[in-house]
Parts: sequence; C-alpha cells; structure tokens
Amino acid sequence: MDFIIIAQMVVSGALMGLVYALIAYGFQLTFSTSKSINFGQGELVMLSAFFSLTLLDWGAPFWLMVPGGLLFGVVLGLAVERAGLRLALEQKSEGWILLTIIIGLLGFSAAENIWGRDDRPFPTPISSDAMQFFGVSITPLEISVAIGVFSLMGLIELFKRKTLLGKAFEAVSADRDAAELMGISATRTVMLSYGLSGLVAAMAGILVSPITTVGPTMASALILKAFSVAVVAGLDSGFGVVVVGIFLGALESLTSFYLGSGWREAPGLILLILALAVRPNGVFGKATIRKV
Amino acid sequence: MKKTLITMLLLGMLAAPVFAAETIKIAITGPFTGGSAPMGASMRDGAKLAIAEINAGGGVSVGDKKMQFEVIERDDEAKNDRGALIAQELASMSDLSGVIGSVNTGVVLAGDKHFQEKGITKIITPAAGSASMTQWSKAGVPDLSIFRFAAHDGIQSEMVVEEAINRKFTKVAIMYDATNYGVSGRDDMLDQIKKQGNKLEVVASEKFNIGDKDMTAQLLRAKSAGAQAILIWGIGPELAAFANGMAKMEMKMPLIGGWTLSMSNFIDNATKNGNGTLMPQTFIEEPITPKVKSFIDGYHKAYNVTRIASPVSAAQGYDAVFIFAAAVKQAQSLDTRKIKEALEDLRDPVEGVITTWKHPFSKWDPANEQTHEAFRREQVVMGMVQDGRVVFGNDSDRQRLIKNASK
Amino acid sequence: MLKRLLLIRGAEIVVLVLLAAIPLMVSNSYVLGLLTLLAIYGILLIGLDVTVGYLGQVNLAHAAFLGLGAYAAGLSVSLLGFGMLSALAVSMLVGLILGGLLAFPALRLEGPQFALATLSFSALSTTVLNEWEGLTGGAQGLHVSRPIFWGHSVNAQGFYWLCLIFLALVWLAMRNLLSSQWGRAFEALRDSPIATDAMGVGTYRHKVAGFAMGSALGSLAGGLYAFNFQYLQPQSFVYELMVILLLGVVLGGRKSLWGAFFGASLVALLPNLLSNRLLFEVISALGLLAALLAGVRGLMKKTTQPFQAIAPILAMGLLVVGSMFVKNTEDWRKAIFALMLFSVVVGLPEGLMGFAARFLTQLFRIDPPSLPPAAILDTVLPAKSPDGGPLLELHDLKRYFGGVKAVDGVSITVHSGHIHGLIGPNGSGKSTAVNVISGLYAPSAGEMLLHGKALPSGMFNVARTGISRTFQNLQLFSELSALDNVMVAMKGVYCAPLPLVLMGLARGEEKRAQSDALALLELVRLKHHARISAKDLTYGDQRFLEIARALARKPELLILDEPAAGLALPDVHKLVEMIWRIHERGVTIILIEHHMDVVSELCDVVTVLDGGRVIAEGSAEEVKRDPRVIKAYLGTVDEATSAKITN
Repeated sequence: MDFIIIAQMVVSGALMGLVYALIAYGFQLTFSTSKSINFGQGELVMLSAFFSLTLLDWGAPFWLMVPGGLLFGVVLGLAVERAGLRLALEQKSEGWILLTIIIGLLGFSAAENIWGRDDRPFPTPISSDAMQFFGVSITPLEISVAIGVFSLMGLIELFKRKTLLGKAFEAVSADRDAAELMGISATRTVMLSYGLSGLVAAMAGILVSPITTVGPTMASALILKAFSVAVVAGLDSGFGVVVVGIFLGALESLTSFYLGSGWREAPGLILLILALAVRPNGVFGKATIRKV
Repeated sequence: MKKTLITMLLLGMLAAPVFAAETIKIAITGPFTGGSAPMGASMRDGAKLAIAEINAGGGVSVGDKKMQFEVIERDDEAKNDRGALIAQELASMSDLSGVIGSVNTGVVLAGDKHFQEKGITKIITPAAGSASMTQWSKAGVPDLSIFRFAAHDGIQSEMVVEEAINRKFTKVAIMYDATNYGVSGRDDMLDQIKKQGNKLEVVASEKFNIGDKDMTAQLLRAKSAGAQAILIWGIGPELAAFANGMAKMEMKMPLIGGWTLSMSNFIDNATKNGNGTLMPQTFIEEPITPKVKSFIDGYHKAYNVTRIASPVSAAQGYDAVFIFAAAVKQAQSLDTRKIKEALEDLRDPVEGVITTWKHPFSKWDPANEQTHEAFRREQVVMGMVQDGRVVFGNDSDRQRLIKNASK
Repeated sequence: MLKRLLLIRGAEIVVLVLLAAIPLMVSNSYVLGLLTLLAIYGILLIGLDVTVGYLGQVNLAHAAFLGLGAYAAGLSVSLLGFGMLSALAVSMLVGLILGGLLAFPALRLEGPQFALATLSFSALSTTVLNEWEGLTGGAQGLHVSRPIFWGHSVNAQGFYWLCLIFLALVWLAMRNLLSSQWGRAFEALRDSPIATDAMGVGTYRHKVAGFAMGSALGSLAGGLYAFNFQYLQPQSFVYELMVILLLGVVLGGRKSLWGAFFGASLVALLPNLLSNRLLFEVISALGLLAALLAGVRGLMKKTTQPFQAIAPILAMGLLVVGSMFVKNTEDWRKAIFALMLFSVVVGLPEGLMGFAARFLTQLFRIDPPSLPPAAILDTVLPAKSPDGGPLLELHDLKRYFGGVKAVDGVSITVHSGHIHGLIGPNGSGKSTAVNVISGLYAPSAGEMLLHGKALPSGMFNVARTGISRTFQNLQLFSELSALDNVMVAMKGVYCAPLPLVLMGLARGEEKRAQSDALALLELVRLKHHARISAKDLTYGDQRFLEIARALARKPELLILDEPAAGLALPDVHKLVEMIWRIHERGVTIILIEHHMDVVSELCDVVTVLDGGRVIAEGSAEEVKRDPRVIKAYLGTVDEATSAKITN
C-alpha cells in the first residue's frame, strides 16, 4: 500500500514536472540565442490555449486545431520578439525584461475581456478514464502529455542538430559575433528562437489544458515553476530540464503528502537556492570560464 | 514633479463634490479582474441589472422627485491594499448613498473600517467569511453601518456538517484553500462538528493553493486515512481538480462544501465527475417562479450569456440593490445614515429573486451579529450538481420556495 | 555651483513642504491615504533601486521584505507591546539580517539565476507566513493596531507626516551613501565584478551590504505599511506586487532618488486615477499627443529607429481608439496600464526621471559640481627607489583547464624596479599566467611568492597585497565617469565608518579622493575627460583609463595585459612614454605585449612562453635571436631566416 502510494505520487508529480520542463525548454530556446527570457511566456501558453479552444468552438476538427494553435503560438512569439526584445535592444537598454512583462500584462487583460475571466474546460478526444498499472492510476490523457512533451522536444533537438538552420541556431548560441562573421544573421536566428519558443508554449497550452482547464490565470503558477526548472537545470541543457522537471514535480507531490500540502513548495525552494549557490550555472549547465 | 502636482490638484477637485446630487450614487466594488472575477463580475452584473430595471421604471421616489441610480464601479482585484484605498476613496465622497459588494473576506477586513468610520452604509455580498461581521461584534462597536447579504459561512458550515451526519458518515476529510476564505471555512466546520456532537471524525485536514492543478497528494492522504466524504472549502477551478482527481483514483465519495461549488468554473470543468456534489445555495438557476424566470432571462439577454458564471452572486447582487432601493424610499433621503436606519427597520417586504425579504435586518446589537445578517437558515437550500447544472438537492426545498413565493 | 545647490536642494525642499502641506489644505481621507501610500512606496522603491539600479540585479524578493517587515512590526506590537519606533527598528533589523543572509548564496549569481534565487526566497517567506498560523494567523490575516509614538497616539494625518519624515531621512541617508565610495562600489560591481575585485574594492562585502541595506529599507516600508493598513495577509506580498514595484523603479528611472519617488507616485496613484473615466481620457489623449510629437521629431531628426518611434504612437493610438469602443474601462484596466507603460518604456528608455533630469539640466543650464584642483603626483604616487631584489617569484606554476595545459610549469622571477616583458605567440599561456598571479584562477600546482611570502588566493586578496593590473579585454566600470573609475579604486583614502557616511560627514575624504584621482588622470592625459563616462571614451583613452585606475591602487607591481592591443600608432607612443613615467616612480611592471618594438624599448628582461612553458629568457635582443623563439613564432628554423629576422 505504502509503496503504491509513493509510486502514485511520483507518477502524478512527474507528469506535472514534464509540463514544467516543456515550458522551461521554451525559456532555454530564447536564452541560448539572445540571453533573454520572455517574462510573459505564461501568457503565451494561456493565449494559445484560448485560441485553440476558439478554433474548436468554431467547429474545427481536433487534428486541425493543434497546428492552428501552434501557429498562433509562433505568431505570438514573433510578436514578442519584435515589440519586446528587439525594440529594447535597438535602444541598447535592458528594457526587454519590462517590455516582455508588459506585453504579457496586455495579453492577460485582452484574454480576460475576449474570452472571459472564467476557467473553461478544454474538450479532447483522449479519454480521461483512469487505467491501473500495478495499482497506480494513470489516464490516457496524462500519457498523451508525456508523449507530446517528449516528441516536441525531440523534434526540436533533431532540428537543431540535423538541419542547416538548426546549426545556425547552435552557432549563434555558441558565439553570436563569430556566427555573424560567418554570414549567419543573428537577428533572424533570434526570431527563429522566439518563434520556436512560442510554438513550445502553445504546445504546452494545448497539452495541459484538458487537465487543468483554460483560464486567464491558468499559467501563472506553472510559469514560476518552469522558470525554476530552467534555471536550476541550467539555461543551456535540454536534457537537464526534463530531469529537473520530473524531480521537482515528484518532490512536490511527496512533500505535500508527507509534510502537509501547505509546505508543498518549501523543500524544492530550499534545494533550489542551495543548488544555485553550489552550481550557479545550473546543475546540468556548463561551467563557463571567465575570460578577461 | 509638476505632473504629480497637477494630478494631486485634479485629485482634490475630483474628490470634492462637483455637482449637486440629482442621482442616488451607489458604489459597486469587487474583483472584476483576476481569479475571483467570476463572482465579482456576476455580482456586479446582477446589481446593475436591478439598477437598470429600477432606472427604467423611473427610479426611486424621494420627496417629490424620482431619483435615478448612478453607479460607481471599483475593481479591487481581490487585493487588500487596493480594497483599502478604494474604501478610503469612496468613504471620502460626501454624496455617496451606499456601497454594495466585496467577494474576498480579506478585502472586507482591510477596507470596511473606513466605511464604518464615516458611517457609510455598505451591504457586503457575496463575501461569506465569518470574520467580516464578527470583527465588529468582537470590537463591540455600538453602531454599525455594515450589513451582510450572503449566507455566511456559519450557516453554510452548519448545513454541510449536518448533511454529512445525515448521510451517516463518521470519517471525513476536510480540504480548504490557503486563503482567508478557506482557512476560516475550515475553522467554522471544525466548530460545527464540535457543536453537533462530535459525530464526525476528521481523519485528514489538507490545504491547497490557488492555482494548484494536481490534488493527488491531498486525495491520497484522505483515501489512506479512510475518509468517507470530503468536506471542502475553496473556489471553482481547484474544486474541479479535486472532483477530477477523485474520479481518476476511483474514490467514490461525495464532495460537500461551500456555495462556490455551484460556480460554472467548477461545474464545467468537473463535468460528469462533479455529479452529486452538494453545497448550500441561496439561489438556484432554475426558473421556478415567474420572478426568477424574468431575472434569469434578463441576465442572459443583458450580458449575452447562456449561463450565469456565479448565479448566487448575481442573484444576491440583484436582491441587494432592491433592498437598498427600498431603504432609500423609506428613508426619503439620499443620506447614507438615514438609509442605514431604514435598512435596520425595513417596513415593507421586498420581492427579490431569492425570496421575499421581510425585515431582513434589525438594529445592530454588538452581542448578536445576526442583527445585520440578512440570511437565515430557511433562505438557504442544499443544491446538488447534476449533469452540468445545479438542482435542488432536496425536492422539499424546491416545493417550499415555490409555496413561499406564491404566498 | 550655488545655482546647482539652490535648484536641486530647493526642489527637494519645495516638494517636501508641498507634500506636507496638502493635508492642511485638503481634508480628505482618500487623498491622505494615497499620500501615505506614496511616502511608503517611496521608501520601498528607494530600497529596491539600490539592488536594481545600483547593483544592477533583477531582485524579486523586495515584496517579500515588505511583507516580512510588516509582519515583524505588527508582531512586535501585538506580542511584545513595542511602541512605534522600536517596532519599526525591529522590522528594519529583520530586513537587514535576512537580506544579508539571502545575499550569501545569491552572491555568486547573476541575471536570471539571481532573479530565481530571490524569487524562491520570496515564495519561501510567503509559505512560512501562511503556514505558521500560531504566530502570523496564516491566511486569516493579522490585525495590527497602530501603536503609540513616544507616548502619543497617532491619527491618520500624524501618521502621514511620520511617513514623510521617514522618507526624508531615508532620502538624505541614501543620497549621502550613494554619492560616496559605497555608491560607486555598487555601480562598479554591476559593471564589472571582476575588476571590482581586482581593484581591491571587494564584490563580496559590497554586494552583501547593498542587498542588506536595500532590504532593510523594504522592511522599514513594510513596518509603515502594517501601521497604515492595519491588516496583513501573506498573499499581499507576492510576485504580482513585485512586478509592479520593478516597473515602478524602471519607469521612474534607475539610479535616482527622484526616479524612485516618481515610480512610487506612478505605482501608488495611477491605478486609482485610471478609475476615473474623464481623467483617463485626458491622460490618454495627452499621451498620444506626446508620443506623436516625440515620434515625429525622432523620425525627422533620425535619432530613433522607425519602429521605435512608431511603437509608442501605436500603443497610445490603440488606447485612444480602444477607449471609444470599450463600454467599461474598469474591465480593461490592466491593458490600459500595460499600453501606457509600454509607451513610456519605449519612448523614454532612461525612465521619466532620466528624461526630466536631462531636460531640466539643459533648461536651467545646471553645471556639474566643480572639481578640486589636482593633487601633486608625488603625494599620490610617491617615488620609490627599488632595491632590485626579487619581488615576485613563480616556481613551477601550473594551471590546467580539463585536459588543456594552459600553464605547464612556469618559473619566473621578477626583480623589483624592472619592466619585465612576457611574450609568446597566441595561446602560449601569457594571459592565463597573469590571471593566475592576480588570483582570478587558482593555480593547479606551483608556488607564487611576493617578497618571499606566498600570495593569498582570490583576486580581492591579491589586490590588497599591492599587485594591480589592467585587462586585455577592457573591464572598465562603463557607466561611471572616468574620474569615478579612478576614485573607486583609490587606496588609502576612504576610512570613514558607515554611520558617518550615512550622515554625510565623510565629504572631506571624497574631496581628497577627487584631487588624487585627477592627478592620476593627468598622468594618463585624461584630466579634461574626467566627467565623461567610461563607455563614451575613445578606445585608446579607455586603455589609458585602465592604467590610471590600476595606479590608484598605488601598486608595487603593476601588470599590464597587452596595453597596446588595438592602439593607433600615436597612442602607442603615448603609451610607451606613460609606462616610462610610471617606471620612473619605482613601480615594478610586468608587460605582456605583442608589439616587439614596444617590448624592446621598455623591457629590462623578457620571458618568452610557448605551450605553457618558458622557452627563453633574457634581454629583448637575446630572446629575439633565440632559435626556439623564432621557431615558436614562425614554425620553421633555418639559418637564413633566423639571420634575416635578427638583422
């Protein structure tokens, strides 16, 4: 019994952790090319989910809704890049942090007024009836989240490693100036990374909505966790986010079971501060040598 | 600095009365954005519907004039400091007749002292936390301008515990959200369990945060402790996460809790997993009487919806305005203090959608905060979620209400 | 000078008096409430500006410190029966201690990592406040009564004045602090932590001190907040508030007390003002007008990029057009706020105050404060007569990076009074050797002796032994002026303790540091550029400024890491002459250089490195003829080429 409970906790927590990991991956994509993070990433998750829901309301079939929602995410990501990041960099200021927060705020308010303030269900053809594996309940819906997370991250990693455009991506993240000298447009690559990051956010929204429902505040709790996962894993490790995401999700579940649910986040937070103090570049991050 | 100065000056000007009182100024406050917005906005829209009806009928006759209502809306975002500032702003308006609103008990606790200080009449709705009124009886204020128009948690927890006992449960788990509302709901329920003879054993007492989506840990604790029912105090989306989690882990036990279980964000998101959930209700969106039908239809039409996000909030907002209007009429004055006195002794019955209100409030007695509470046990019924709608949990309640209305 | 004093101090006094007088003119509890909040937020944002503006870190814990301070004050009143002043002292203390503690693990972190560490701290403090129900009342909240103040009960108006007095005191203290060596050290830390350590200023204690003091102000504001609202709940102090505070600081303008005050007014007043439809329409119409004017002007003068000029116009236009269609502006409040903020951030990147300051200085033609005359160089950098004995000895020094043996057993002795050249092809380990000596990298093996004693580890400690250096890749404090760059490194001038600095009683040493720094700037021919910020100097001047800054340490041993790299020929001549003059004062110099003619002209001894090892040592002429050196540089050796090179 006890073992089954632990297993159940770990599985449920780890599945949430995978969602953190996916959103965290979106942070990594933009950070690697431009050393910037979209602080309004949660709003991208939420807006894409709402847009996908609207597509369904308009009668679009499920298979059409997914690419539609993803495309919307890409467009939003590009918009953030243009109106937030690039605008700030044109002024040579650190204003991107603020601009991305502000754009997020605008998106939040727009969603509240366009789609309402209420949480809404997100219909899905995938069943949410539990299946039992050795006493642990898992729903097909949860499995679909795991599959979705892994396949999207896998595809993007493949893209980064196998295609010319993807290699340009790697080049810019390794050394922006050198890449520019080699004729790679850093601006275009940064745009690409923001587009991909929007795509990842939209995917997270579509995957998680059937479980968590869609509402303006749906991502506000997720996003802080995802940020933690991204930084603790190291802002350059795609493998790291998955590990750290699963670990953090499972840890939270177990803590709330054993310490009481009010303390759910406490051990994770303490570990996080300690992990950063010991390894400032993240547990899986590459240690950089300071060159002067 | 110049700019700040100008705004300051403007502010001073605006705060002072600029034009003569030709309207009844009433403020509606509540969270209209953010997580508690479904309740705040429904309450506001219900109240504005009532105001539109009154204004369309010419208004309230005060002296020889027909006075129209004028609404001042303020969004407190469910933030205490915003609420306190709004209360200060409203309290400093010299021609304000009254205030209706507040969803969050914390906002009430932070802001209402400013109304009380200036003697401004306020009707709290739909905030149900006990502390909103007990803070005044504890302080022993001799005279109070704050009224409540909501089934306070005392009534609700009494009914919830009673329901669990009636259903022959002995072991229950208590779940509550980590807000003022949830924690005070927990305390009220524990209190009621003691009062009703300790017939329930609380085997698990678990907290959850606003925004939590995964309730596995809490449910497993309840399950492994052998709970037979879950008594729950929280707000819509998290409650739905509980219903769905219970279905996933095949925990077949009823969810009984506060009125917020009737909110559309619970019902829609829990879908079939929400069936059988029980909660005290002051209003059920079922056109059992013509008055109720016209309210529901009016609301749907005015706000272009097919269902009210929080019917309880809307109906309470609606009735609160009618009661307030009756008080204005009886006082024959726009003076907030006179309206308060009229509210404490409302002579004519007021026909609302919830019930026909006969003398809902009486003179404030610091030893008994019931004097400023409108709702008694008999105005509250047990509602049940059934296939995406809230229906009467007990048909006897339904018959009783129909009978009352026809009287 | 007088005009400057009159205008700036005058403005402060006028605003203070006006703010204090408003409650006497308008008796309105709402206005009073807003003003009180303004004063509290003023203190809060001045504190936040220390970390965000001066230390340059995204600090997400400030809202938590507001909350911790509020609870500390509230609890010390309700549990311990403290009066107002002692309760506020308790809340400041809590902020100071917890802020210092948090700074420890956060010390090594920068950017997103620092942000996350502070965010975690704030989530943790919310959890504790929520869960410790026995003490804090948890989510049910804590009622706080306003305690007596020196035996008197305080009404709302009195409390407002009290808050205002606190704001004025904080203002004065922070002005003194931030215009002192402390403020410069904070900024130095932001621009280059490495150079801050290498100049012996110390990142460590300044980061801790800055963070602790900023947090203490946040907690002080928290104490006032508690006595103002008299009801506290943990969820009032979460991420959402934090974002608003950050926006406030940046909108008002970083690194400026006025900016913090402006930001506070925006944060405190704007949300409440926007509730009024008429006022909102006036503001948005004015905003559109301003954006249009600025945008068109920017486009005509080509000072801004097209999108940068258009974006605020689009945003404000959207606001004006949108407001015509939207029935209920209250519903769209956040969007309205967002659009206005967007326009300000894009249109005025330095913040409202940065813009206003520039505008007002031009309008009133305020000159910068005058400088004292330069000190005599002999007093700043007294000439020494070195004995020529061994100063720095390296024995079998090694430094590996993974498998790369960057320095692989180097033994060198540098004699005092010498200019010791260190040359070698790219990747030969010169820079690594220097970085090991100056403490940036710990050696993998080997011994380093200065005057026969082992060198300490860490740049800061090495800097304190009298070794100073410049950097191959410039590490200037780019936002500080040339003068400040030198002043911040000045050794042996600053000794006033912190309380005196806060009270403004340390101005004497400030003057002395200025005149000393001017003498050094004169030495590198930059005195006329003293007020220009380092990032605006020409490349050559930046190199020279680094030398002046290194000299401010009054070093025994000066390490120049490729000082001539990228210099134009006239500048190289200037450099050579400069090094001679420094040498004349008895400073021992290690010179890493590629220009052989510079090396030949200056160096007494030259050591040649290749592949992390010493391959030759001797006078410049000797090593030039050494076949191993020629092989290292050219890869081939035959008699003919070697003869050619040496001739």
